[in-house]
Amino acid sequence: MKNLKLFASLSLFLCVVAPTLGVTKVSASQSGTAPNTPIEHFIVVMQQNHTFDNYFGTYPGANGLPKDVCIPASLANDKESCVAPYKITNEPISDLSHSDVIFGKQFQNGKMNGFVDALNNLNQNGSLSMGYYNDQDIPFYWNLADEYVLFDNYFSSAHTGSITNRMFWVSGKAGAEFNRIPEGGFGDIPTIFDKLQEREISWKFYIRNYDPSLNYRKLNELDFLPPQIQWVPLLSFDRFLDDPELSNRIVDLSEYYKDLQNGTLPAVSYVLLLGATEHPISDPGLGEKVTQTMIQSLMQSDSWNNSAFFLTYDDWGGWYDHVAPPQIDERGYGFRVPSILVSPYARKGHIDHTLLDHTSILKFIEENWSIPPLAERDAEANNFTSAFDFSGSPRSPVFISSTREEPAPRIEPRRIVIYAAYGAAMLFAFMILARAAMVKEGLKRSPYESTLPEDVKP
Amino acid sequence: MNLRNLSILRERLTQRILPKNPTLVQWWGRDRESTARVVSVTLVMCLAVGIRVWGLNQIGFNTDEAVYSGQAAAIAQIPVLRDIFPVFRAHPLLFQFLLALLFNFGVSDLAARLLAVAIGVAAVFIVYRLGSLLYGEYTGILAALILAVMPYHVVVSRQVLLDGPMVLCSTLTLYLVARYALTGNPIWLHAAGIGMGLTFLAKETGLILIGSVYSFFALSRDIPVRLQDLMISFALMVLMILPFPISLWLAGGSKVGQQYLIWQLFRRPNHDWDFYLRMVPGQIGILVIILAIAGIFLLWKERTWRERLLIWWVVVPVIFFQIWPTKGYQYLLPIAPPLTILASRTLIRWFWIELPALGKKRISTTWIRALVGGILIVTLLSASWQTIQPATTGDFVAGTGGVPGGREAGEWIQKNIPSQATLLTIGPSMANILEFYGHRKAFGMSVSPNPLHRNPAYEPVNNPDSQIRSNNIQYLIWDSYSAGRSSFFSERLLQLAARFNGRVVHTQTVTVTLEDGTKVDKPVIIIYSVYP
Repeated sequence: MKNLKLFASLSLFLCVVAPTLGVTKVSASQSGTAPNTPIEHFIVVMQQNHTFDNYFGTYPGANGLPKDVCIPASLANDKESCVAPYKITNEPISDLSHSDVIFGKQFQNGKMNGFVDALNNLNQNGSLSMGYYNDQDIPFYWNLADEYVLFDNYFSSAHTGSITNRMFWVSGKAGAEFNRIPEGGFGDIPTIFDKLQEREISWKFYIRNYDPSLNYRKLNELDFLPPQIQWVPLLSFDRFLDDPELSNRIVDLSEYYKDLQNGTLPAVSYVLLLGATEHPISDPGLGEKVTQTMIQSLMQSDSWNNSAFFLTYDDWGGWYDHVAPPQIDERGYGFRVPSILVSPYARKGHIDHTLLDHTSILKFIEENWSIPPLAERDAEANNFTSAFDFSGSPRSPVFISSTREEPAPRIEPRRIVIYAAYGAAMLFAFMILARAAMVKEGLKRSPYESTLPEDVKP
Repeated sequence: MNLRNLSILRERLTQRILPKNPTLVQWWGRDRESTARVVSVTLVMCLAVGIRVWGLNQIGFNTDEAVYSGQAAAIAQIPVLRDIFPVFRAHPLLFQFLLALLFNFGVSDLAARLLAVAIGVAAVFIVYRLGSLLYGEYTGILAALILAVMPYHVVVSRQVLLDGPMVLCSTLTLYLVARYALTGNPIWLHAAGIGMGLTFLAKETGLILIGSVYSFFALSRDIPVRLQDLMISFALMVLMILPFPISLWLAGGSKVGQQYLIWQLFRRPNHDWDFYLRMVPGQIGILVIILAIAGIFLLWKERTWRERLLIWWVVVPVIFFQIWPTKGYQYLLPIAPPLTILASRTLIRWFWIELPALGKKRISTTWIRALVGGILIVTLLSASWQTIQPATTGDFVAGTGGVPGGREAGEWIQKNIPSQATLLTIGPSMANILEFYGHRKAFGMSVSPNPLHRNPAYEPVNNPDSQIRSNNIQYLIWDSYSAGRSSFFSERLLQLAARFNGRVVHTQTVTVTLEDGTKVDKPVIIIYSVYP
């Protein structure tokens, strides 16, 4: 009987208390993933090949194009004319060279005067590097900057092209070979996604027009480097191709919209807008449009109140920028690139001057989700928390216009005229009616009763 | 003239006009009669107020109410609404001006409707005064009672529509014309000019009642009018009308007025020819119409200029709006007051039945009149009571009341949809409602891109597909009312929703009663978010 009681008690414990312990354990695990700020969803879109001056050089209040700047057309011949920044209009643009060698020639050890000459020497149109876009060309981005945060001291991490910069973006390191995908892939370099996976913090890498069959292993069969492989470093890591737990998180961008709708947006989202990356010679407007759709969808979702959307560019693309990038190691920094933060907690119309680079994105993720640094770069990088204001409640979403044009001058009716005209009419009517009511009068015609024939009266 | 003189005048008029019903007058003393009159009028007015405010704000605005309130909000410079609604649209702005004064203390659909109710009750009082003036106190009180419970007037005067104020002003004009006809004092004719001007300022279609006034004077030799007085009256009317063109011109909206006039002149008919025949008699009360017409014949011997005046006040608007291509439920409301007075006259004055078979003997109609009067009031009251109950069928006829679910959907939009979002609805009616309550720009897909075929106040969406692809439209709104009117545009909207990843973000339901009496929640408005 005693045993029976013991058995019953044990059963009760197993049935009631044990599951609770299990729940407690899961809860503890979840609490470990809780962010240190109200930002529960962080989305980063990395576009391509523009400098800060190229996109926001004329943005009011930002560290943009200096007055009277003119870059010599040739460094060898002082007498040759110089090229001043000019507004890009209808002339064709081209994909300017932006290798580490070109960087050096343009950088000129900090003199920043080789932009035109370096490209001219390659038989490219060096003058084109001095072209810039303004609010009429990229109205949505300028409107975003007006409403949220624009960074004017954000540098690409490496003074070379996309591959290395994107490696810094995911791992805080340049990779084994400078701006090349090694034959065996990037090996076991740890990435931020490994750390997120370890801590059961959700993440996804969204790729527009994703082709799952394309990865670095295909390079042997191809005589070109497909953009998807070049711009998604994870597709050059064996473990991200072979481990379904990891590979399943590399998905098409259409999943982003589904995740927003289903409330399953991961904590960290990296995005490649293949086909709309703004890489010259493509139209910046295409990237703007997709970015706008992404931001609007985010605003339409329940995730908005706890999200931050970060837009940046991997490298400078050969374009002019007037700020000499600090050289913190042999890899970088590269020239400044445009960056914008959109969040309900972002300061309104703020221009942030904090020194940042791509590893600052890692820094934010690491500090927000309590992850130790991946490498020296991200350990040393600045965070961009100064762009947030967490003291208040989240800002309500506001759809940002895709046009910069001043709305057609609306004829604002002079309301005082309406008040005066109708008020005067009412007053006038009242006076006349009151006057009529006060008139002493007799009846000219007979009242009804006296008009009736005698035989109809009751 | 001081107040004492005024009361003397009132007393003299009352003495001469009050019907000398010997049985009543003998029974009631003079004071008791006066008290009874005051009590009766007060009861009628209370009834008029009660039935107009009962459940007044249970259902949100319909499209016209949203438009007029939006205009008033624009005049009052209410943030967001002033950017969505234009100040100038189609009509003069007297009512919107009064609403704007109210909205300066805060936008409220209930306050707007209470103003409409106050105007409606004022019209009931003027009918009492007019009936008393023409046929005596009893007729006046009964006419006021009929109008107080008439579904047509009850429904319209519970809404923020221009027709309520227009009917108040037109009935005032009728009263002033009658006063002139009775006294011969030109000041009343001049005042009638002012009344007609106010009628125009309330709603420009009221101007057709000039035709009634003209017909009355032209065919009434016994009511002579001096040309000089007519000219003064006309000039005063023009003076009163002036705020409309002046504000259009000086305040910057003259183009809108011109466009609207052109559109109204050339627009296609919006209803069948028998629209009024189907909609209006039941709402006025078949018995009211029968009594009004029957009285003309039954009381043929009593005919005076009074009936001519009332009949012209009915005939001219009926003919005009029957011919006019644009038809609206509430357009014939100005005929309600004269009809109630004519019907009351029949009930009060039809004392005897005289049949040739009876020789000189006459049969008293007291019981018949009491019975008919009782039936009339009960049926009207019952019909009004049913009309003011929230719709349980999910169907909707423009002008008959609020749109169930519209306010709630709009408020959901205001709370949950990002600022600067743009909506696309099936038609402009729902767009207006959602703009007012939702504070977001909305386009109606059925608005024609051809300027000749659309209300100039509406903005068409030439290519909704392209607008969605360009991120310019982010929400599609399907509603059962618009879908019922245009299945084509309903289907197109649903196609767009399917094409652009439409996801239902909100469904507004209303509880409707099925034929078997069971109540179900029927989705009436569905909001889709879309992205390219």
